[in-house]
Amino acid sequence: MTGRNGWARFVGFKMLRLVSLLVGVSVLSFILMQFSPVDPIEAYIGGDMIRVSAEQRNLIEERWGLNESPMERLLAWGQALIQGDLGTSMIYRQPVADIIQERFMNSIALMAVAWLLSGIIGFTLGVVAAMRRDSKLDRLICWYCYTLASTPVFWIALLLLMVFGVWLGWLPVGLGVPAGMSADQVTWGDRAIHMILPALTLSLTGVASIALHTKQKLTDVLESDYILFARARGERGFQLFRRHGFRHVVLPAITLQFASFSELFGGAVLAEQVFSYPGLGQATVQAGLRGDVPLLLGLVMCSAIFVFTGNMVADILYRMIDPRMKEELMS
Amino acid sequence: MGRFSWRWGKRKGRTGLGILLVCSIGLSGCAQGTAPTASSAENGQSGTTSTKDELVLAVGTEPEGGFDPTTGWGQYGSPLFQSTLLKRDAKLQLVNDLATAYSVSEDGLTWTVTLRNDVTFSDGEPLTAEDVKFTFDTATQSGSVIDLTNMADVKAPDDSTVVFTLKSPQSTFISLLTTLGIVPEHAYGADYAEHPVGSGPYKLVQWDKGQQAIVEANEEYYGNKSAFHKLTFLYLDEDAAYAAAQAGTVDIAAIPAAFSKQQVNGMTLEAVKTVDNRGIMFPMQPACAKSGDGLPAGNDVTSDLAIRQAVNVVIDRKALVEGVLEGYGRPSYSVSDDLPWSNAEAVFTDANLEEAKRILAAGGWADADGDGIVEKNGVKAEFNLLYFAGDLTRQSLALATADMVAQAGIKINVEGKSREETKKMAYSNAVLFGWGSHDPLETYNLYSSTHKGEGYYNVGLYSNPVVDSWMDKALQATSEEEALPFWQKAEWDGTTGFSYQGDAPWAWLVNIDHLYLVTNGLNIGEQQIHPHGHGWPVTTNLEEWSWDNSTK
Repeated sequence: MTGRNGWARFVGFKMLRLVSLLVGVSVLSFILMQFSPVDPIEAYIGGDMIRVSAEQRNLIEERWGLNESPMERLLAWGQALIQGDLGTSMIYRQPVADIIQERFMNSIALMAVAWLLSGIIGFTLGVVAAMRRDSKLDRLICWYCYTLASTPVFWIALLLLMVFGVWLGWLPVGLGVPAGMSADQVTWGDRAIHMILPALTLSLTGVASIALHTKQKLTDVLESDYILFARARGERGFQLFRRHGFRHVVLPAITLQFASFSELFGGAVLAEQVFSYPGLGQATVQAGLRGDVPLLLGLVMCSAIFVFTGNMVADILYRMIDPRMKEELMS
Repeated sequence: MGRFSWRWGKRKGRTGLGILLVCSIGLSGCAQGTAPTASSAENGQSGTTSTKDELVLAVGTEPEGGFDPTTGWGQYGSPLFQSTLLKRDAKLQLVNDLATAYSVSEDGLTWTVTLRNDVTFSDGEPLTAEDVKFTFDTATQSGSVIDLTNMADVKAPDDSTVVFTLKSPQSTFISLLTTLGIVPEHAYGADYAEHPVGSGPYKLVQWDKGQQAIVEANEEYYGNKSAFHKLTFLYLDEDAAYAAAQAGTVDIAAIPAAFSKQQVNGMTLEAVKTVDNRGIMFPMQPACAKSGDGLPAGNDVTSDLAIRQAVNVVIDRKALVEGVLEGYGRPSYSVSDDLPWSNAEAVFTDANLEEAKRILAAGGWADADGDGIVEKNGVKAEFNLLYFAGDLTRQSLALATADMVAQAGIKINVEGKSREETKKMAYSNAVLFGWGSHDPLETYNLYSSTHKGEGYYNVGLYSNPVVDSWMDKALQATSEEEALPFWQKAEWDGTTGFSYQGDAPWAWLVNIDHLYLVTNGLNIGEQQIHPHGHGWPVTTNLEEWSWDNSTK
């Protein structure tokens, strides 16, 4: 059997799984929203409840199709989706696709920076901890990882906001661009500065798992016979790691890093909320709290595709890099 | 979102925590330079001089739906980019805006408004009666919070006259004329909410969604020019708004009472009077069958007038203001304290245990078994009081009230419930609600028997034909002034009403002050009594804001 055929089958299989996953999560989310105690009409009306008559409520229901049965609504939504229409958001009064596109561009940059940082830093810390096992440095790194792994993201965000935004005044306390500056004056530098705190928040918490896993893996490697042999030949320190350790630990690290897309996305929701950063997270919170079903379903699908892509890339990389996995795939 | 208490007083722990955090950041390879020094929040307090004609405000949440009045923009505070036919001044009296005059027919069904003819939109086109007609027609069809279901139609017989025809008389229709901003027919389209054109004091320059809106003065504006050429509205969480104030980024920030204890350098705390009230709603019927939706309705204890009056009179409202609101508020005796349509005679002396005991005894309630709780015909004076779980202010008010009421021998069990649960239990249990609007229609909806039990309208199923007839008279009045005495009589006409002296269907507790941190030297003018809903209303009188040079 040729390699090309194997790949086609692999990709086809993955696509099938993606489609079934999307159908699954959207139907499940829809059902959960039906059971949620949030009354979308009430959430939409908000503070004006006592001034909106029953008659007007009916008009609002009609306008948003909320008077139809859940089954009818889900089917109508699905039909529109097949034609490429994600529907209209109730609270933003805008096509869902537009909102997601706009927000995704902000979020993706933030998540990419955080992801790269946490990957590189986490891997480095893990390697250092394993090479200097039982030293003070190792203990400090482990302590840091355990602390960070059990710390809520929004709390870190608030601490950073307090320290760097308020006490030191080095960085802006929120938003993605400077306050009051017109769009044509905003530079990439401004955007980068506003991204530092949210990205730092995300990468700080993302470091822990990758560092701990890398350390564990490298520790195992360092205890193996061939390392003993290498040491006997006089290899030491970085050279030892580069020649014999790196290849063994970089693969699980990469896999883990791609598989962490879901945590990244979840963390972004919280960090964006704290820093009033205009990404997907902010929109997700609004959609959930106010029962905006079309927007929430759109966001759920978007995040499902995002996480799925991460896992798939991890899978492919593994197969490409590790010859044993490649054989398994091709056979 | 977890609420974070910003107490960086003189605790030992915080410095340690800060340094620890900076160390850990240093470790992760992103150190921002040196270790933390003694630098503090003051460093951001620059650029705020008394000649600056720009302001940065963090006073409210983003109107996600955009700036289209026909779908709800401008319902609180000023629509900013558009102007309204009428508006309310600092004393909540009606004054003309786009209108030069208005009249209502004898039967209250036909409203005729004449417009000034010197108004142009920010794009230079004149504003005519057709635009008003277009605005009201569009709002009718938008399926939004703008309730125009009582409007039969609107006509524009000539350029400066608009005629509204109502289905039934409604003196409160005036509220729509004071809140609905007029949009231009020629410049209205699918993206109007993002690119509003109007005749208001400002025009939108840029809207960074989820972040901020930047506005500039409208050169075409016919009214008083604001002292500020440019305004930036930041859409920040309460926590972030407070942090921004501390960092010196904003000139005015709306903050919750919990943050009021800390001083912020360069800023003054301004407390604005409101009718943002909290009160206890009592089920008015005896425990009986079911409500319309099949839910349990009525309550044998709260349906007794003596209980409701005793609860009302024993509560120490001043103590609630001091204890729960940190002093930022005032006692509440009605749904509309200090608004033109409330009745000053309905105010009474509270914190009066003797009076409560007298009322209970006269009503036949006595403590026969000596357990500290009074009974009548074998029924103990005990009932539940629900509040929306998660709302700390409501929780504290409910608990403090229960303590006060216990002295009179009435036992209140305080329970936090979700909104959904509350809705199901509200017909048979007392509930701590909050209202407060610049529209007397709210009073009607809370006390009238016409719509009782519809959504949040008159949840206690209160019904008094005399009150109903006074309120009907108020609705049928042809002007607000004419309606005012009827609203007041519905509250208390000397023999009956929905006040404490009458049927006491509610025990109103407090009005909550809205708090704003304002940069020193910025004068925000004379503020109206704000309605329920914190934030935007502060912008109502933007044209009066100025730098107060005497303090600089």
